[in-house]
Amino acid sequence: MKIFKSIKWRLQLWYGLILVVVLAGFGFTAYQLERGRLLGRIDNELHRRVGILASALHHPPPRGPEGNGQPFDRPPPGQFHDDGPQGQNPRPPREFHLSLEDAHFFDASDPNGFYFSIRARDGKEIASSTNQPDRTFVTSTYTGGDVNWIQNLPGNTPTPPKVNFFEHYRETFEPLPSGERILVGCSVLPELKELHRTALNLTAIGGLILLVGLAGGGWLVSRSLKPISSISATAAKISAGDLSQRINVAEAESELGQLAAVLNSTFARLETAFAQQQQFTADAAHELRTPVSVILTQTQTALNREREAADYRQTVEACQRAAQRMRKLIESLLALARFDAGQEVLKRLPFDFSKIISDYAELVQPLAAERGVKVITEIPSLQVTGDPERLAQVVTNLLTNAIQYNQSGGEVRVKLKAQGGLAELTVADTGEGIATEHLPRVFGRFFRTDESRTGAGNAGLGLAISKAIVEAHGGTIEVASERNRGTTFTVRLPICA
Amino acid sequence: MRILIVEDEPDLLASLAQALREEGYAADTADDGEDGFYKAESYDYDAIVLDVMLPKMDGWEILKRLRKTKKTPVLMLTARDQTRDRVKGLDTGADDYVVKPFDLPELFARLRALIRRSANKTTNVIEIGDVKVDTAARNVFLKNKPVELTAREYSLVEFLALHRSEVVTRTQLYEHLFDENESSLSNLLDVHVSNVRKKLGAEFILTRRGHGYCIE
Repeated sequence: MKIFKSIKWRLQLWYGLILVVVLAGFGFTAYQLERGRLLGRIDNELHRRVGILASALHHPPPRGPEGNGQPFDRPPPGQFHDDGPQGQNPRPPREFHLSLEDAHFFDASDPNGFYFSIRARDGKEIASSTNQPDRTFVTSTYTGGDVNWIQNLPGNTPTPPKVNFFEHYRETFEPLPSGERILVGCSVLPELKELHRTALNLTAIGGLILLVGLAGGGWLVSRSLKPISSISATAAKISAGDLSQRINVAEAESELGQLAAVLNSTFARLETAFAQQQQFTADAAHELRTPVSVILTQTQTALNREREAADYRQTVEACQRAAQRMRKLIESLLALARFDAGQEVLKRLPFDFSKIISDYAELVQPLAAERGVKVITEIPSLQVTGDPERLAQVVTNLLTNAIQYNQSGGEVRVKLKAQGGLAELTVADTGEGIATEHLPRVFGRFFRTDESRTGAGNAGLGLAISKAIVEAHGGTIEVASERNRGTTFTVRLPICA
Repeated sequence: MRILIVEDEPDLLASLAQALREEGYAADTADDGEDGFYKAESYDYDAIVLDVMLPKMDGWEILKRLRKTKKTPVLMLTARDQTRDRVKGLDTGADDYVVKPFDLPELFARLRALIRRSANKTTNVIEIGDVKVDTAARNVFLKNKPVELTAREYSLVEFLALHRSEVVTRTQLYEHLFDENESSLSNLLDVHVSNVRKKLGAEFILTRRGHGYCIE
């Protein structure tokens, strides 16, 4: 069931249940208290009337010789046991005379009035009121110790007064020490009705409280869960591709507000990462478009009509240049992708870093001569651990950059030294330098100081790849530049232990 | 028709210029922004093919500055194909936009359309009496029979036809039919005019002495 999976409905259900239990307990207690109060009042009345009736029992005056000559109401305590129901010599039953004053306690005309019945110890009725309920069918339903009150009493032990229900009558049944038994009762129909009303009232109030509680709780839950729906709506939009969406953080101090803030910053980072990725892809595509245009235009032009062999040769050469440029770009992109994915496997060889540097300084000499740049080296022998080929790539890149972005008559200083357990390679040029605002992007992908291509084939990935290589070796690469004074690149690599 | 190409990739620039010349256009080239802007402002080109990413001054800047003085149709050539780049190009005053890599036939078709629009013509075919000039196929018909014209002769006819009823000066014709590399021998134009008259009738091109030429 979907509804039971929703937090809102589960919460509602839980506190609804708790509310019901609390209200039911409270209502039950209130009901019991009220019932006890009402019945206690009636029971007091019943006991009072038992007293009245008991005091209305008199021994008849002695009637000549057949009387047993006893002048007192009660047998002496010692003789009491002999006067059991099985006694051979039962005393004459006492007489009952209710004074007028007391008679109004038993109003037979009132259907809810009190009734009574007095029986002698042999079960014979001495007196009773006329408004007694009919009890002929009683035996099966009238449970309790005094079911057989009419017939006999178990032994002579005075049982404690009992209060009981007989149908809707409340009755007390009390054996007197003298052996008579008195029953007083009255209808408790009005009280039962009142109790019923109380129960209804309690139920109604409880229901009302439950409704108000559920409604208020529902409101509260909806309110506090509202940010969640706004969060999920935003997240849905973001997953649909609109990364610029942010959660509207209305209550920043609540837990959900904090969550929303965290999510927002995550979304922002995601958007930046996506934008960078998109920029990278666009740049890569852009870099590939130009050589493809060259090939297309060259070939389409060449094929337009019959050409001389030399013309075809020119076309093929142009196409080759374009293809080389694309190959270089694709290799760079693949290298970067491998470094990004951590898939680039580097060799770990101890080797002489100075050897590689001097080799490549030699190799770039023709380019330097062409540009009128002097390469000055200061390279003591120094062992490092790493991938010689990859590090050679870094060296070449730094050297060619230093030559290409130099001015005629300028110089490139290449220095290697051990510094604090690191091999430190510096390549300094005397070019026009890099503007301060560009410095943070120097190692970025497709970065060029000039927005356009200054030399075909230079896609602006060289420094990005150099950085990836150096960092994969556990080293660092830094740039410092001064306008019109030159740029210095510093590479630090761990020295071979 | 004289066209300026501003593009910094030498191989692309060379082949574009060659292809345009073989199509009968006079093509000037510039390989950086400053040179491109200078040329664009100095001559009345029939169209300019302008790359966006250029050294020294980028395509947007050239376009922005050029639009202050000239209405020359400009076709932007760029490797950026995001919508915002196209919108920016068209908003800055570019007349059309071609994304690299492109096909030459498409580029030429767009250039023809640009030139035609700037001459306020809506169709490729211009009819002048018995003569019909198809600017798309670069053919000329006399009484529905095709007439063989050299590329330069065709260009002359096309330029005059596009500027029908206007007097076109010799200087204008020189500027639009020959590019910067061709020596403008003054009698070369007269040779072309006389050749066209031989093929299409003496009355086809009228001479306005002291002013220039005209097609009625």
